[in-house]
Amino acid sequence: MEHLRGAPDTVDDGLLLPGEELSASRRSFLRLAGFGVASGVLAGCSRGPERSVVPLLHASDALVPGRGYAIATTCAGCSAGCGVLARCRDGRPIGLAGNPEHALSRGGLCAVGQADILGLYDSRRAGVPRMRGADSGWEAALAELRGALEAARREGKAVRVLTGTLTSPSTRRALEELLAGFPDARHVEQDALSSAAWLDACEATHGVRALPGLRLERARRIVAVEADFLGTWISPVEHAAAYAAGRDPATGPMSRHVHCEARVSLTGLAADARHVVAPWQARELLRLLCAALEAESGTEPRAGRLEGAVELVKLARALAAELREAGRGALVLYGGEDEPAARLCNYANALLGAWGETLSLARPSRQRRGDDRAVERLWSELDAGRVGVLLCAGANPAYAWPREARALLERADVLAVHSAGLDETWALADVALPAAHALESWDDAEPQPGRYSLTQPTVPPLRDARTLRWVARALAGATAPDAHLLREHWRDELHATLAPDEPFEAFWRRSLHDGWVEASGEAAPEPAFDPASIAALEPARAPSGLGLVLYPKVGLRDGAHAHNPWLQELPDPVTKVVWDNYACLAPGLARELGVETGDRVRVTAEGGGTLELPALVQRGQHEQVVAIALGYGRAGTERFADVGPQWWEARETVDVHGRVGVNAAELLAFGEGRRRGEVLGVRVERGAGRRDLAQTQEHHSLVVPEHLAPPRGEVRDVARSVTLAGLGHAGGHAAGGHGARTELWADDHAPVGHHWGLAIDLSRCTGCSACVIGCQSENNVPVVGRDEALRHREMHWLRIDRYYDEGEHGLSAAHQPMMCQQCDHAPCESVCPVLATVHSSEGLNQQVYNRCVGTRYCANTCPYKVRRFNWFDYPREDRLQNQALNPDVTVRSRGVMEKCSFCAQRIVEAKARARSEGRTLADGDVVPACQQSCPTQAIVFGDMNDPHSRLRGRMQDPRAYAALEELNVQPSVRYLMRVLNRTEGEASHG
Amino acid sequence: MPSANAILFGVLSAALGGGAIVLNADVRMLGSNRGYAPRQPVAFSHRIHAGDLRMDCQYCHSGARRSRLAGVPSASVCMNCHARVTARLDSVLEERERAAAEGREERTPVAPELAKLYAATGFDPESGAYAHEPAGPIEWVRVHNLADFVWFDHRPHVARGLACEACHGPVQSMDRMRQEAPLTMGWCLDCHRTQAADSRAPTSAAGLRAAHHVTTDCVNCHL
Repeated sequence: MEHLRGAPDTVDDGLLLPGEELSASRRSFLRLAGFGVASGVLAGCSRGPERSVVPLLHASDALVPGRGYAIATTCAGCSAGCGVLARCRDGRPIGLAGNPEHALSRGGLCAVGQADILGLYDSRRAGVPRMRGADSGWEAALAELRGALEAARREGKAVRVLTGTLTSPSTRRALEELLAGFPDARHVEQDALSSAAWLDACEATHGVRALPGLRLERARRIVAVEADFLGTWISPVEHAAAYAAGRDPATGPMSRHVHCEARVSLTGLAADARHVVAPWQARELLRLLCAALEAESGTEPRAGRLEGAVELVKLARALAAELREAGRGALVLYGGEDEPAARLCNYANALLGAWGETLSLARPSRQRRGDDRAVERLWSELDAGRVGVLLCAGANPAYAWPREARALLERADVLAVHSAGLDETWALADVALPAAHALESWDDAEPQPGRYSLTQPTVPPLRDARTLRWVARALAGATAPDAHLLREHWRDELHATLAPDEPFEAFWRRSLHDGWVEASGEAAPEPAFDPASIAALEPARAPSGLGLVLYPKVGLRDGAHAHNPWLQELPDPVTKVVWDNYACLAPGLARELGVETGDRVRVTAEGGGTLELPALVQRGQHEQVVAIALGYGRAGTERFADVGPQWWEARETVDVHGRVGVNAAELLAFGEGRRRGEVLGVRVERGAGRRDLAQTQEHHSLVVPEHLAPPRGEVRDVARSVTLAGLGHAGGHAAGGHGARTELWADDHAPVGHHWGLAIDLSRCTGCSACVIGCQSENNVPVVGRDEALRHREMHWLRIDRYYDEGEHGLSAAHQPMMCQQCDHAPCESVCPVLATVHSSEGLNQQVYNRCVGTRYCANTCPYKVRRFNWFDYPREDRLQNQALNPDVTVRSRGVMEKCSFCAQRIVEAKARARSEGRTLADGDVVPACQQSCPTQAIVFGDMNDPHSRLRGRMQDPRAYAALEELNVQPSVRYLMRVLNRTEGEASHG
Repeated sequence: MPSANAILFGVLSAALGGGAIVLNADVRMLGSNRGYAPRQPVAFSHRIHAGDLRMDCQYCHSGARRSRLAGVPSASVCMNCHARVTARLDSVLEERERAAAEGREERTPVAPELAKLYAATGFDPESGAYAHEPAGPIEWVRVHNLADFVWFDHRPHVARGLACEACHGPVQSMDRMRQEAPLTMGWCLDCHRTQAADSRAPTSAAGLRAAHHVTTDCVNCHL
C-alpha cells in the first residue's frame, strides 16, 4: 500500500506537524523555523520510529486482533497422537498445549510436542519440489513420479512406500487405493524406535498384530523390563497420566513399580525398586518369572525349569511373589527388541490374568505398527534391484538404516521422498516432494481403534507443501484440495459408524471443534492367549565384550526433531547434558578404561562400525553395557554452529565434524547374520582428547560446597521423600519443619486479595521436562548454545533438579522442578539497588526489566538459584522463527535479570477476561504454562487466600513442605514429598 | 569550510528554534509523545464521525471490549456505510444539479479520500458492486505508541466504564487524530493510585479478590 501514502491525490489537511517530511520551499522553512524545529528537537528525544497499523481488509468476529484463541488439533511430533490446543494470535499459532478434553492425552503434551511449533516456523523447511537436485514445480514432479510408477508397472518392478507408523486412516486409504493399481506394490512401515518385537510377539501369542492398550491406572504391581514407558516408549504422555493416577496415595491404593534395565532411564528412576539387568538377560529373566508363576499356580510348565543364574532366579522369584499379590492388577511390560522375551512377557501376563484388566488386545494401540521383517525384505528386494519406485514418506532411511542398507537406497530405480526437506534422504532423492507441517495442514489420526483425532490448519500454509494423502490422491489422478479429501473420507467412511443420528455437517463441525471423536459401543472380546506359542526357548546370546544399548532421549527421540534448538538445549532428565550425545559407561567400566566424563572414547562394533564420542560416567548402569543416544549427528544440525552469542571466546556448539553429536546407526551392521533382538557387541577404548559435556545439574546446585559447610557437612533436605508406610502413621516429616516462623514485617503481606502460589507433587513428577519447554515457549526464553551452558549461563526459567537416591532398592531419583519461589521475604528484593525487583500486592516477586541495571546482586542472594542474567542479546535473527515468540512477554535485552514470573501475563489476561465478562476470578482461571501441559498434573497453581482452591487443598496435605524453609524466606511454592511404595527402611534424598 | 550562508542558516534556525522552545507553552516531557498527529494515508476525520455524526467509538473500535487492542477498523466496517455514502451531501446535490442542467444521467460522485477506500476494497461505486481486485488493507499510521515493554489492555478500562476521552482526549473535535495525553507511566499511575486507594477501602478478602480490584503492581503492565 505504499502508493497510498503520500500519493498525489492526498488531501493536505492544512496542518504541518512534528515529524513530517517537508519540501524545501521557503515557506515551509519559515514554518519549520517557527515551531517545527522546537518540537522536532524534542520529538527527536522521545519519538520512536513511525509504526503502522494494518487492519484486516474484512472484519471477522472470530479473529479479533490481539485476542487469543485456541484451535483443537493433533500432535504430529510422534505417532502417539496426543490432542493439542494450538494457542493462536492474529492468525498464527504462538504456542502448543495439551487438549484437556482429549480422550487419549487428557491435557498432557510432552516436550517434543510443545516444541514442534518451531518445526512449523523453521525457515529451512522445503517449499519447492525438487527433481534430481533442481527445483521444479508440483506438476512436473508429480508427472515425473507418475512416469516412474508407470515404468515400474511396465517392467514388472516393485513399488514400495516406506513410512513411519501411519495413524491416519484417510492417508492409509489413499495409499491403499493408489497401490492397489499396481501388481507389486506394498506399503512398508518402519519405526525408528521400533516396537516390532512386541507386535510380532502379540501376533504369535494372540493372533493379533497390534500393541496391547495399557491401563496403568488399574495396575497395582508393575514390573517393567526395558520399557521406558514414562519417557519415550509408545505413548508416554498417556502412560504417565495413567501411571500417576494409579500412584496417588490419597485417592486409592498406590501401585508398586519395579523396573529392570541396563541403562538408566527416566522410568527406571521413577520406580520404587530398580534392578540392573543386561538386555541379553531379559529373555532369561522373563522365562524364569514365567516359570516361577507357573510353579506357584501349578499350571502346566511351558517356560522351562526354574533354574539358571542365581541372581536372576532370586529376582524372578521375588517379582513373581509380588505380582501374585496384586492378582489381576499385575502388569508385566517388556520394551526391548527381543521377540521371544516379548512373547514371555505376554505369557507372564496371561499367567497373572492381567489380559483384559491392565492390558488389552481388545482395545489395542496402533501407535506403533512398524514391521522390521518387512524392512528386511525391502533390503533384499533393493539388493536384488527389484524396486522400481521407493517412496519414503516420514521415514528417513538414509539416516536411520545401518550403513550397508543405506547404500542400497541407490539401487531403487527412482527414489522419491516426501518430507520437510531437512533429512538425509531428501538429499539423495530423484524426486523430492515437500511435506506440509501438521500445524498448516489437514489430517486425521486413529492412534487407537475407535479413537479418532483431527488435525486442522492453524495458519495458512507457510510453504507450498502438501500432505501424503494429497500426494497419493494426486498420483492416482485426483485434483481436489486436501481439505475436501479429508472431509470426503470422514463423510463416506466414518460418519455412519461414529454418529449415524447426527447430520454430517453437525458431526464434522463438532469433531473439528473438539479435535477428536470416539466410537461408542462394546469392545470386542479379548483375544485368547495361545499357549502353544510358548515353546522351549534357548537363552539369548550374550555379546562378546560389551553390549551396545541404543536408546532414545526424552527430547530428541529418533532425531526427527534434531533441528529444534529447544529440544537440543533441553537437559536430559537423567544426565542433564545439553547439545551432545555420549557413551554412557558405568563407573567401574570407566575406571577400568581410565576415562572420565568428557574424555573421548572410540566405540567399535562387531560389524566394524566405529564412532568417536565423549564418555559420560553414569551410575546405576550395567557394567557391561555402553549406552548411546539415538537421534544425533543429523545432517543439517550444522546450522547450530552459530547458535548462541558469537564472541571471541565462544566455543562452537557443534562437534569437530560440524554436527551436533554423532549418529549411533553407524555402529549397526547389516548382513552379518545378526538376528533381531540380539545385542550388538562393542569394544570401547580411550580416544584422543576431550569434549566437555555441558551438564546443567551441577550449575545451580543447592548443595553447600564442602569447604563452606559445617564440619559434619550440611544436609539440606531439599527434595524429600517418604515411604508409603511412613506416610501412613507419621504424616510425613514435613509437618516438623525447621524452626518457627519469624516475622519482621508482620503487616507487610496481609492475607487479603489474591496470593498466588504453586504446589508441585514430587510423587507425580516424572522429570519428563514438558514444563521446561512449555515455559520456554510461553516466556520467550532464548537458546544460548553449548558454550554458554558450559559457563552455567543457560536461561531456562524452570529447571528440573535431579536428586539421586541409591540404596538397597537400587538407583532412584526425585525430580524437582525448580523455579522462582516468589518468596514473601524475598532476599532478592532487599538487595536490589534500583527497585527492579519488588513485591506485588498479590504476592508476586516482580522483575521489572526496564528498571534493571544488571548488578546481579539478586542472583547472588537467591537461595534457589533461579535468576537468569542476559549476558548477551541472544540472536533473534530468524524472522520466521520469531513468529513463535509470545507477543505477551517482553523479549529481554542484554544486561537485565529475568526469572519465572508465575506467568504473570496469564494472570493479567485471566483478570481482564473475567472483568470484561463481569465476574470474579474463579479457581482454575489462571493456568501457568508449566501446569498446562503437565501429563501427570504434578503442578497446581492457584490463590493461597482462596480457602476452596485446589492449591489450598494441596498445601494442606501432610506431605507439603517448602524447599529450604529454614531460611524463612517464605516461598509461595510448596512441594509434596515423593511417596515411594517401599516396605522396609526409610527412603531418603539429600 | 562551510559557506557563510550555511552558518547564517544555522544561527538563524537555532535562534528561532530556541525562541520557539521558550515561547511554546506546551513543552513536552522527555519520553512523551503528546501532540503527535501523523499524517494518515486517508484523511479520515474523527470530528465528522465521532463529533458531528455521534457514532459510538466502539462501533469502529470494537476490539476495546473484546481484546487488549482497540484496533483500527477493517475497511469492511467502513463499507457498512460508505457503500452508499460516497461523497459529501453538497457534492451529491451539486452533481444532481449539474446532471439536470446538462441533461445527462447522474453519476455517482466519489470523494477523493473515499476513492482510496474503494481501491482498497475493490468496490465500484458506480455499480455498487465489489467489481475490482482489492488493493489490500489500508496501512494507517499508529498514533498512540507505547514502549515495547508496556502492555496496555483496553478491556478492564472499558469494563470499568472509563470514558474513551479520559485517555484519548476530545477525539470528537479532532480532524486529524492526535495523541492528547502524555501516556507516560506517571500519568497512568496518577489514576491508578487514586483508584487503588478507593478499591482498597473495603478490606474483606472476597472484596479484594474481586476482579475489579485496581492495583499499582508493576506486572499489571510490565510483563
